[in-house]
Amino acid sequence: MASQPRLSVRGLTKRFGALVANDDVSLNVEPGELHCLLGENGAGKSTLSSCLYGLYQPDHGEIQVDGQPVHLRSPADALRAGIGMVHQHFVLVPGFTVLENIAVGTGSGWRFDRAAAKARVLAICQAYGIELEPDRAVGDLSVGGQQWVEIVKVLYTGARLLILDEPTAVLTPDESRKLFAVIERLKADGISILLISHKMAEVMQSDRVSVLRRGRLVGTVRTADVTRDDLTTMMIGQRIAPASRSSDGGGVGGAVLSVRGLSKERQGRRVLDDISFEVAQGEIFGIAGVSGNGQDDLFECLCGLAAPDEGSFSVAGAEVRASSPADVAALGVGYVPSDRFRDGLVGDLSIEENLVLGQHWSARWRRGPFLDRNGLEKNGRDAIAGYSIAATGPDAICRRLSGGNAQKVILAREFGKADRLLLCNQPTRGLDVGAIGFVHRELLRKRDEGCAIVLASEELDDLFALCSRIGVFFRGRLLKVLDRDRTSHDEIGRLMAGQESVVAA
Amino acid sequence: MTDFSIAEWRIERRREARPAARFIGLGAALAGAIIVCGMLFLAAGAEPLKAFASLAKGSFGSLRATGETLVKATPLIFTGLAACVAFRARIWNIGAEGQVFAGAMFAYWAQHNLGEFPALVQIPVVVMGGIAGGGLYAALAGLLKTRFSVDEVISTVMLNYIIVYVLSLLLLRGPWSEAGGFFEQTARVDRDATLPMLIAGTRLHMGFLLALAAAVLVHLILTRTPLGYEIRAAGSNLRALDVQGTNTRRLIIVVMLLSGALAGLAGVTEVYGVHYRLKAGAVAGYGYSGIIVAILGQLHPVGVVAAAILFGALLNGATLMQIETGVPSALIYAIQAILLLFFLAGWAMCNFRLRRTGRV
Amino acid sequence: MFESFLQATILVSVAAATIRIATPLLLAALGELVAERSGVYNMGLEGMMLMGAFIGYLSAHQSGSLWVGVAAAGLTGAAMAAVFAFMVITLKVEQIVTGLAVNLLGAGLSTYWLRAAFSDSGQTPVIPFFENVPIPVLSQLPVVGPILFDQKLLTYFAFLMVPAVWFLLFRTRYGLIIRCAGDNPKALDVKGVSVAAVQYAAVVFGGLMAGLGGAFLSVGSAARFVPDMTNGRGWLAIIIVIAGLWRPYAVLAATLVFSFLDALQLQIQGIGIAIPYQLLLMMPYVVAIIALMVRRSRANAPAMLGMPYSRE
Repeated sequence: MASQPRLSVRGLTKRFGALVANDDVSLNVEPGELHCLLGENGAGKSTLSSCLYGLYQPDHGEIQVDGQPVHLRSPADALRAGIGMVHQHFVLVPGFTVLENIAVGTGSGWRFDRAAAKARVLAICQAYGIELEPDRAVGDLSVGGQQWVEIVKVLYTGARLLILDEPTAVLTPDESRKLFAVIERLKADGISILLISHKMAEVMQSDRVSVLRRGRLVGTVRTADVTRDDLTTMMIGQRIAPASRSSDGGGVGGAVLSVRGLSKERQGRRVLDDISFEVAQGEIFGIAGVSGNGQDDLFECLCGLAAPDEGSFSVAGAEVRASSPADVAALGVGYVPSDRFRDGLVGDLSIEENLVLGQHWSARWRRGPFLDRNGLEKNGRDAIAGYSIAATGPDAICRRLSGGNAQKVILAREFGKADRLLLCNQPTRGLDVGAIGFVHRELLRKRDEGCAIVLASEELDDLFALCSRIGVFFRGRLLKVLDRDRTSHDEIGRLMAGQESVVAA
Repeated sequence: MTDFSIAEWRIERRREARPAARFIGLGAALAGAIIVCGMLFLAAGAEPLKAFASLAKGSFGSLRATGETLVKATPLIFTGLAACVAFRARIWNIGAEGQVFAGAMFAYWAQHNLGEFPALVQIPVVVMGGIAGGGLYAALAGLLKTRFSVDEVISTVMLNYIIVYVLSLLLLRGPWSEAGGFFEQTARVDRDATLPMLIAGTRLHMGFLLALAAAVLVHLILTRTPLGYEIRAAGSNLRALDVQGTNTRRLIIVVMLLSGALAGLAGVTEVYGVHYRLKAGAVAGYGYSGIIVAILGQLHPVGVVAAAILFGALLNGATLMQIETGVPSALIYAIQAILLLFFLAGWAMCNFRLRRTGRV
Repeated sequence: MFESFLQATILVSVAAATIRIATPLLLAALGELVAERSGVYNMGLEGMMLMGAFIGYLSAHQSGSLWVGVAAAGLTGAAMAAVFAFMVITLKVEQIVTGLAVNLLGAGLSTYWLRAAFSDSGQTPVIPFFENVPIPVLSQLPVVGPILFDQKLLTYFAFLMVPAVWFLLFRTRYGLIIRCAGDNPKALDVKGVSVAAVQYAAVVFGGLMAGLGGAFLSVGSAARFVPDMTNGRGWLAIIIVIAGLWRPYAVLAATLVFSFLDALQLQIQGIGIAIPYQLLLMMPYVVAIIALMVRRSRANAPAMLGMPYSRE
């Protein structure tokens, strides 16, 4: 090849203890190329990008930029080499202005030359067709706006290679279309982009794709030469049957949960706006929506953690008002929170102890004033067997469990509690394929036992596989409730972007 | 292209310290603390070995000295346990100092107003008074935290300063001042209210047994009861407890009550077991030392008892050391802080390791 | 006529005392403000002030120069802050516990050293103290002259540091970096700026200021050292930063409130009003708790205050 590749990775290996996160990975990114890094969760994409940005140091291998070997010990080295990164979770200071976020840590000397920085930011915005107001506080921007700040922040450092880590995970379809338009202009300018994604629609817009599976590079292909199915096969290993749709569970009994006009304000923003829906016995009600559109607030209200400003809800006919999580749980309600290590588990306690979290005062787990150790241990063994939790024993500390096994501990506890209603917020987030399948099967089993289930997920596949009806959340409103069998991914995708009118037309 | 890798060393944080590493780290910390102490001896113009020797002789050299060491250890066990209970829940009760005062004052108030009764009545009253006084004063900080979100570190420190003046107010020309007395102290307490002696020839009193019983009780609470479960859980993830239905506000108050009650008992043992009158000098200083004791004891009741006896020995031996070598006994407080710093550093450094890596 | 003149002089003397008493609090609080803005709770402030007061006194006594004492006090505070920073930033030891250890070290070491250095005399010798330096012309102004412009040099310095710290935090490149470290350290890390270096610098600056604050107590006004002479001023400085919502000018206002109470208390004792002095002395601590109770929002607090930063 005549020109030097912008980035060349040779035999990169990174281990975490026994786990090999990247195993002998080699790839090239050319100048002006949109190169996609494709793989499932846990395939090693994030580790590789962290190595390229100097956040981790690889154990073996070589990285070259424009033909020069580089040692990336910190982000400072990466920036010097012209590598910039937009992180999946934004790293912004909400109280700073757009300009301050972009300029902090750049330049030299004591002086902060606001005017010069502003001129440069505006020049970058103009060059690539990005709309940004430099003096607005970042905390006031939409998620899409914050994404632009991140991108300009990287371009401001003069990067010639941009690593974008799942940039569209939080964007509406319209915003991600804009993103790809900007990417085209960056490419025309000779800037290379390494896009990390697992969304096929985006991957197909790239020039070449490198596929990772379990830390190894499966291969690099020209996108024009392959189909979506080819890439899926490369990513997953064998062709899997399309996600089976559950046999219909339209609900066999009366409404277990009925929500009427729930509204809530937080920091002057209406995070829940007049939400009403019902879930019947033996039904899984799905909630679709980009995260941050009110789902978390809905679940916090329903589980008793927060009180709504207006409206009410009832479980099995019993009105729940100004309650606490303990009161709601007493009605036979289980709650699987979205952030399992923050809300669902006590990291330093063992599995058997976490399995009784919230019920530790109940007579069932006590003998006199003391906890019933034998009962706890037996319960732990049963859960480990019943939910195939990979752990050394019921006394294993939960902090050391993988995401999937931690989730199984929570499921074991909450399924046991949920006689009537199960609230699941993003139960499959961050899990691998095997664990997702497990969660699906357990949810269906619970449904068939007659439990009513509310399931929120960002993965439409989850919802289409499990739910009979799907409600779409956008900016705190429940835009529409759709019958699974009379809707499509596209329709829900448009609603998630807030395009109600398109649907209505 | 040849891929050559040059070995180099890098310091990394590990996830879990291995027990061996922890042992070495703590040993190194102890050695470091001893060396610094030796330097302080030299600075005071004393021979370090001689100073250490007289420190040891003063603390364990005779039955009387050993008994005195345990007497000094008694309030430290209580305040150490107080810090242990609170810190396990990650509630930073820095107020044991003030809670010792409050316990002693409440006990004195109850016993003073009770009138003359046999020991069988007075001693339980005194003990319950200490528990109530310390517990309530600590619960005040708990209330400030849960109702007004005032950081407990700051509120407990402020309460420590406040109660010193309250006591002074009551003692100096106040209702409790000794008739005709010149010092800021109460009259001698009724003999029947004092804690009985245990071993002839020593001043070891019943308070020491109470302290050991308290350590056993705290251990049982922490490991075996639902409350202990909540305390340990709160120390790891308070939010998860909240989400799963525990009233964490109430838990914070309960922990503060328990922690303060333990500290309050230290006030009782000093007033009714050692000094037989209430004065600031009888109860000051044990709260802060108790925090060091708790951390050196790795927040474990058995460790707390061991560390408290070590500190009791230091306090007790210091007097002889000052007489024999002229090293000011105030050194002990510096040594305590140095020990704490070295242990914290040693403990933390166990979490690091040197790792040999190939060059990238 | 005479009565109102008397009242006026009392007011002037209370006001002048307020400014004087504010000096050590203001120095320590401004240092703590910068440290907390960078994300580190320096709970060892009390110990750093106390040790600064002692070393300042000792050095001034040995060298015969008050300014040597002041410099030594600043360096002592900075050195203790460096130890604190190593513990909490590099080793990531709990900030509260480390701060406590530093406080106890300051109290223990200063008392021990004092006894070891002056054991023979029994009494600690008094050293000369800083004279007031009236500013020409301005100090001749009625009322405000004696209040504001007839003070010690360290007092002028402390008050000038208020706009200086404001300028540092809100108008310079480094200020932006410090505030970023407190609000979202990762945003600095990904820019290739060492979060640890920023926090070390901020904490050491805080220690330096606390040491100077201590020096004002011993060298600056009392002309001697008394064990535990800071008497909670380090903690009050921490409270002042919280009550001042992490802003320099509000911190100045909060400092003045506390020092006014103290000055008033001295005046009341001085003219012999029959209030037990203990009630007067405990007033600042009670007011501190009340100030924290009525403060409604933590919205201004650095978002990552007190949480050690690590990449993983």
